[in-house]
Amino acid sequence: MSQRISRRTWLRGLPGLGGLLLTGCARETFVPPQVRGGLVGMADVLTMSTNRLLQANQPLAREYPRSAVTHPFPTWAQTNPPDPEYQRLRRGGFAEWRLHVSGLVERPLALSLDDVRSLPARTQITAHVCEQGWSAIGEWTGPRLQQVLDEAGGVQPGARYVVFHTFDGWYESIDLFEVAHPQTILAWRLNGEELPIGNGAPLRLRVERQCGYKNVKFLRSLEVVDSLTGFGQGAGGISADYGFHWFAGV
Amino acid sequence: MTSERARAGARQWIRVHAPNVRICHWINVVASGYLLVSGVHIFLDFPELYWGHTGYRGHPAIFRLSDWGLSWDAAGELGNRMWGRNYHFTFAWVFLINGLAYAGWNLARGHFVRDMTPRRAELTPGHLRAELRGHLRWPRRAPESTLRYGTLQKLSYLLLVFVYAPFMVLTGLAQSPGVTAAAPGLLDLFGGRQTARSLHTFGTVLLVLFVVVHLLEVAAAGVVNRLRAMITGNLRVPEEEP
Repeated sequence: MSQRISRRTWLRGLPGLGGLLLTGCARETFVPPQVRGGLVGMADVLTMSTNRLLQANQPLAREYPRSAVTHPFPTWAQTNPPDPEYQRLRRGGFAEWRLHVSGLVERPLALSLDDVRSLPARTQITAHVCEQGWSAIGEWTGPRLQQVLDEAGGVQPGARYVVFHTFDGWYESIDLFEVAHPQTILAWRLNGEELPIGNGAPLRLRVERQCGYKNVKFLRSLEVVDSLTGFGQGAGGISADYGFHWFAGV
Repeated sequence: MTSERARAGARQWIRVHAPNVRICHWINVVASGYLLVSGVHIFLDFPELYWGHTGYRGHPAIFRLSDWGLSWDAAGELGNRMWGRNYHFTFAWVFLINGLAYAGWNLARGHFVRDMTPRRAELTPGHLRAELRGHLRWPRRAPESTLRYGTLQKLSYLLLVFVYAPFMVLTGLAQSPGVTAAAPGLLDLFGGRQTARSLHTFGTVLLVLFVVVHLLEVAAAGVVNRLRAMITGNLRVPEEEP
């Protein structure tokens, strides 16, 4: 009897472990792209791998009732990129904006805002957790990032990260384990309205299991890559190049 | 005469702290020191506290540093959240691993039960009152017993190890979007991420108070002797005592 229970418990755990194995059980699922030296670097690896083991079953971040929504949603950092191209697109209501999807995908894409909006969307009421310490709850709507990559024919063998480029001069990256999460979406709607400029119009990334600085705004393009060495200083994002931990789960 | 004086001043050494206790104590001093300083850096970058699931600039706060004379911008200048985050999470691991090793080792060898659990007689109101009076007397008379923990000392160490430390770890984890995705119960346990952040901050104040009292007690019991005992394990006691 006890043997049967233990076997059942073991089997229940398998899909999660299987999920980790499917994403390659790859080094990048547990270890940041650039491991820092010393004790801080060791702690980075411990933090990321512990989070990933806890998240093996890809649990959803807490979703709240609509009554919990923060309105108006706070804005922080860049609230209107001065980039001339961004300003031109903004004046045109983003009709000429395109999301370029390139790199290790079968068919590179250039999606208009209407294309993005016509994709099956997920709506989720989640907490934005800023690494500064504040948090607010928003209702985000948009296609799953996985869906967008599928539109591009899926990723090619060897793909490990998705790199995001933005109109405020930022770049950031997540690994395919985070891409596969159902709540990893490209949001074009916030609290039932078009995504405001201050919150990242026309499209922003939502990575609900990581802190604010991963959730980049003002998306310009995304690239599927096998290595992050060609970008910035190679740490995988502006904030990581600057000295923040690339994995922002804590 | 000379030998007489030597005999009067004679001391003997008694082993009071096991090696694992001394090692874990000093690792914990370093880890807690870094956690405190890095935690203050993180707090200064967003010097307001809230209650519930949400909290942001403009949301009703339960504590604002600006009400105490340090403006938001001035606090931001003092705090470096990048350095703070890097070292807070690094030494959180040191604190956790060291704490688990300490608790596990001393549960196994019976230290908590044998030396740190108060006897029934020690918990009577009369005994506790007498002990408290002894603690409040300054300067101290010679400690009644330098070899055994006092009841209040036992209780505060047990609270520190088995209530305070887990509380700080859990209120810390309840702020992590990665951990709370896997363990959403942490959010319910404390009633929200911002509540957990506020409790974590209040806990920091408690730690500072504990350290102040702890250092005063060490001073009262003899700085050199007690400090040396926590390094070498040996306490010097007058020969006529035990």
